[in-house]
Amino acid sequence: MKSPSTIYLVTRTHGMRTHLLTDDNFKAMAKSKNLSDIIDLLLRSDYATEIGKLPSEQIDSLKLEMIFLKTLVERFYNLSKNAKGKGREFLENYISRIEVENLKRILRAKHTNTEIENHKLVPLDREKTLINFPALIKAKDVEETASLLRETPYASLAQRIDDYKRLGLTIILESHLDSIYFDKVWEKVEKIENKDSIKKLVGEEIDLSNLQLILTLKMKNIASRQIEEMAVPISYRLRKTNIRRLAQGRLEDAPEALVGTPYVNTIIEILRKSDPSIELETILSKKLYHNASFALRNSSLEFGYIVAYLMMCERESRNLVTITTGLDLGVTEEILLQRLFI
Amino acid sequence: MSAAGRAAVSRGILLRLREQLEFTKKGQELLKMKRDHLASETNKLLSKLAERNELDRQLMEAYENMKAAYLNIGFSNLDSQAATVSEIEVRVRSRSIMGVIVPEVVIEKNADIGSISSPSAYKAASKLNDIMEKLIQLAEAESRLESIAYELMMTNRKVNSLERVLIPGLLELIRYVEGRLEEESLEEFFRAKCVKKIIRGAKK
Repeated sequence: MKSPSTIYLVTRTHGMRTHLLTDDNFKAMAKSKNLSDIIDLLLRSDYATEIGKLPSEQIDSLKLEMIFLKTLVERFYNLSKNAKGKGREFLENYISRIEVENLKRILRAKHTNTEIENHKLVPLDREKTLINFPALIKAKDVEETASLLRETPYASLAQRIDDYKRLGLTIILESHLDSIYFDKVWEKVEKIENKDSIKKLVGEEIDLSNLQLILTLKMKNIASRQIEEMAVPISYRLRKTNIRRLAQGRLEDAPEALVGTPYVNTIIEILRKSDPSIELETILSKKLYHNASFALRNSSLEFGYIVAYLMMCERESRNLVTITTGLDLGVTEEILLQRLFI
Repeated sequence: MSAAGRAAVSRGILLRLREQLEFTKKGQELLKMKRDHLASETNKLLSKLAERNELDRQLMEAYENMKAAYLNIGFSNLDSQAATVSEIEVRVRSRSIMGVIVPEVVIEKNADIGSISSPSAYKAASKLNDIMEKLIQLAEAESRLESIAYELMMTNRKVNSLERVLIPGLLELIRYVEGRLEEESLEEFFRAKCVKKIIRGAKK
């Protein structure tokens, strides 16, 4: 028996889902010759209000990207605002991926003492987060940034500073932020009633994120011990032995290391590509959004439907960024369609 | 007006002219050596410039990878990934090749791309990083070639002017002075003969 708040939220999500752009919309946009064609299509969507605020001559792909991200954030927070109880707790933790992304961006800039301004972050209003981003932006280095996070859920980042200093790689801190994030989310998933569908979605997202991290580190020839240390400690269908074998073996042997998991075919598909590093993110994300799309069709009355919707919002945002960026770079429709998550 | 027309004639001048000719010929030899060295240096640099096509191809490949990275993660995220890359440090110092000052670029610190977490961005960055060293070497070669080619042109002009103007002029002058001196010595001989004859006639 589902709680009334879950039923209410799922029903709201069904309504909100109708606002999402369809695959046909993306295909039509991929055919566009210039940004104004895309804007015409977007003016009939949730992006209309934000796009309408921009003078037409000022519109470029970077500004549009920020609008897409802002709309994504709005969709995330609107949903969490309507939730109650454990569902709300879960959603609040789930959407903290936005602040994690912003933290990563700040840490990357601090690594080389590059100036970072607010407009380079994902637009996140002050009232939507407990993190003091303006203070982090002003921090003088990575160490100070980590120390400013001591009263937040990311306090343990300071423990990885020594490793960061030793190796000089921000990926250590980024992977630790991911570990903290997934740990929080996984903890909340466990508390949700009828958690099967949501557990599958979030669990596979964690696994895919772990796979991406491990394969990226392998492509960079990072030592296996460090790869194992950096991997997200939580896993769903990926066992510790899979992670160890993946970290210790050669990249070509990755399918063997993943035998018994649902990711073997995905890895084979990646390795078959002429340039696996270029395709890695696209193929893993396609798998993730395929799961979300499946959940939207098959778990229409579960809490998983809400998570699937959030993933599809993210997919929409990424697709729009790809289309507008591709148009700016003069990418052909064929290549664009390959990169889209449809 | 030829050089001969202006020249004063004496044995001292002839000696000085011969010394000047010898010095000029030595200078010409040195300039020819310089010209040959610069020409061989130019040939070496030209073979390096021939690599440009291959470099252009690699650069296009890197740009394609960069495009893929942009499509995968978008402008703002790629910008953020790029912020982790430390800048490449180069030092430009000057070097002399046969008196021609050419630039020499020394890469002191390569860009550190290890912190890029996106695989496609990392791939694009590593491609660009590999090309960067070759691009710097090509820029150095092109700049050297420009300086050397200018100097080669100037040296060629100097050799030609020595070979076709200065040395023939000196030779002509020497020939003129030698001729004048010979004439003067014949005149002197004839005068001495006449004086001798007059003195002998007076004695008889």
